Amino acid sequence: MNRKYELVYVISPDVSDDQVTELHTQIDAIVQRMGGQIEKTDNWGRRKLAYEIGRHKEGTYVLEVINGSGDLMKEIDRRLKVIDTVIRHLVVRVDEEQGVVERTRSKRTETSRRRRVARGLPPDRQPGEGQRGEPDEDRDERFDMGGEELR
Amino acid sequence: MNGGGRKGGGGGRGRNQQAQGKDAGQRRPMFRRRKVCKFCADKIDDINYKDTKLLMPFVPERAKILPRRISGTCAMHQRKLRTAIMRARQLALIPYTAE
Repeated sequence: MNRKYELVYVISPDVSDDQVTELHTQIDAIVQRMGGQIEKTDNWGRRKLAYEIGRHKEGTYVLEVINGSGDLMKEIDRRLKVIDTVIRHLVVRVDEEQGVVERTRSKRTETSRRRRVARGLPPDRQPGEGQRGEPDEDRDERFDMGGEELR
Repeated sequence: MNGGGRKGGGGGRGRNQQAQGKDAGQRRPMFRRRKVCKFCADKIDDINYKDTKLLMPFVPERAKILPRRISGTCAMHQRKLRTAIMRARQLALIPYTAE
């Protein structure tokens, strides 16, 4: 069962960059071993924490998008709990949510296109169209919100 | 012609209402702007816990979640907002309390 997860972990600020990359390779090793893969890694760098955790006021945030099974994430979760340079971590499953978001988005563009055609307009928004000064996104369907329930 | 007159009358009434609100107390509710769910209006489908810029307006000074009756957020989006805020709090992106 392949699922998509997001893992964010906060590393204590007095850890060197080498150790951060080492931690990443450690996680990568677990992922490889359990038959998953890392889709994306994003280091947000050092950020101020919203509240103190222990004695820390800052932390290095790293985001990993991982494809894999639930057991894999369980293992990573367990390992991260043990490592004390990691002061916080969070695992979230994202595949279902992303699917829903994509579906609503495509549904919306589709209805907006249909309505525009029904109104005798070209299906896509033309540049410079719309109410004064509004950014040129697909924002002109604000009044269609009620219609979505009716269908 | 007629329409213009009506419009003018409406404006006058509005002004009266405001004046009443000031001196006569709570006889009539003052005019309030109709609240619209921000996420519906701006078509933000994905309320993400990583997007602190989006979440911060919903956790004012005391860092409590802004209730729906004040922000006007619709039920579905308030629910999603809540999970996003709770996740962001866990990662210390958003405070639990203001010190």
